[in-house]
Amino acid sequence: MVFWVFSAVAVVAGWRVFCTDSMVRASFLLLVSFIAVGAIMLLLNAPYLGFATIFMMGVEMMVMALFMVMFMMNPAGLNPMMMVHQHRFSIAAGAAAFVGLAIAIFTTGFPHDPVAAGRPVIHDLGRELLGPSMLIFESAGVTLLATMVASVILSSRSGRFGAADEGSVPPPLEPGGEPAGRRPDDEGGGHAHHHH
Amino acid sequence: MTLLIASWIAVLLFGAWCVAVLDNLALALIERRSAAGALTAPLYGAAALLRQQQNRTEAPDLLNWKLAPALYLGLAAAGVAVVPLAPGDILADLQAGIVLWGAVEALTVVVVFLHGWSANSMLALIGAYRYVAIGLPVMLLSMFVLIAAALPAESLAVSAIVESQRSLWNVVRQPLGLPLFLLLGLSLSFRGPFNYADSADLAGGTAAEVSGASRLLWEFARLAMLAAVAAMASTVFLGGYLGPVLPGPLWLLLKTAALLIVLVAASHLFARLSPARMLTLLWVVLLPLAFVDLLWAGVVAL
Repeated sequence: MVFWVFSAVAVVAGWRVFCTDSMVRASFLLLVSFIAVGAIMLLLNAPYLGFATIFMMGVEMMVMALFMVMFMMNPAGLNPMMMVHQHRFSIAAGAAAFVGLAIAIFTTGFPHDPVAAGRPVIHDLGRELLGPSMLIFESAGVTLLATMVASVILSSRSGRFGAADEGSVPPPLEPGGEPAGRRPDDEGGGHAHHHH
Repeated sequence: MTLLIASWIAVLLFGAWCVAVLDNLALALIERRSAAGALTAPLYGAAALLRQQQNRTEAPDLLNWKLAPALYLGLAAAGVAVVPLAPGDILADLQAGIVLWGAVEALTVVVVFLHGWSANSMLALIGAYRYVAIGLPVMLLSMFVLIAAALPAESLAVSAIVESQRSLWNVVRQPLGLPLFLLLGLSLSFRGPFNYADSADLAGGTAAEVSGASRLLWEFARLAMLAAVAAMASTVFLGGYLGPVLPGPLWLLLKTAALLIVLVAASHLFARLSPARMLTLLWVVLLPLAFVDLLWAGVVAL
């Protein structure tokens, strides 16, 4: 019963992601869907994976919503906008994925034995993941970290009006003219130039 | 079980009231005025908010706006539920209790953002975005600190983390952990030096447009969240219910109260940095300190 409730929440919230007209709402509807999936993992006696899903997706959807609004120039994400594009391709891709996953579900033999009470499932999971697969896990982790650091370095130096470390200069009012706005004095600021 | 649920609700109600009283006492002490009425002032304030009419903004996201205070309180309650009151006396004895606490931290950032975003009001929105920028790195460093605390216990269960401190409290074993975790407390309830969400410079920030019962629930949840962090910090770093002579729950209460005094004092005594400088401080100084804490814990555990 609880399983069906969470499944319904996951599916309906996932569907609503594509019906809403706001990027922030879409992100957090997806989060609701993921939280329901995390709750199903808890039902399956996978406490670490369940809570980790909720926790990771919470951070991830928050960051995603923030970056989408930042890059889309849609103030606050409250302005209505179309959340779907490339209709024909996405319908075909969705149908193919649905059929493929459905076939996978029906052809896979799932185990029926419930996990024995008191079994250290988190300990077992750690052994499973970090035993023979340690090298893969560690290298993936370091690669992801390096990617994050590199993307921050690449994006932080070039500001909107030029390199951030040289001081931002607004664009000119006429083509090829002087930059608009007040320019800081070369002589170290203050009001010294009034007396020259 | 009934007793556990009763004490769980009592921790939230009594904890929030304690924080409010401590706030009043701290202000009275700083302003050198009489502290008369400090015990009842929070209750009168709550009653006044209950009688106030509910504010409306133009085209808010009503669902999120009305739900955010309740969700915030729910997260504080979920956090308290994994704190053991005595050996075996724990409302939610989870194998991954500390990961649940991590989920509470992450979802708090989401809920505070939604609270500010859904009002469809400029100052509330600025508070929401500013909170995300500061709240996420603070949450990140608290994760490293918590992983470090789980290392000597070799378990993610909060009860195992308490038991691992029988010989030595984590605050001695990992001295960087507690101060870094207390920063999280100020950030999760956005007060004092970490009040970027609901501060006076934004006329109340995410709560700028909120009044009446919703405002009461929101402020209550903020206070309860601070109490939850203090209970968690005393459990993870100060040995929780461990202590001689006195019964376990009383020790937990005393340690939590002591940490609440520290947290309230810090929120009234320290100045707030500008968001950009705080961001630099967090990423360049405090996050590496959390790494050091984790490394330290790892070397000690070896």
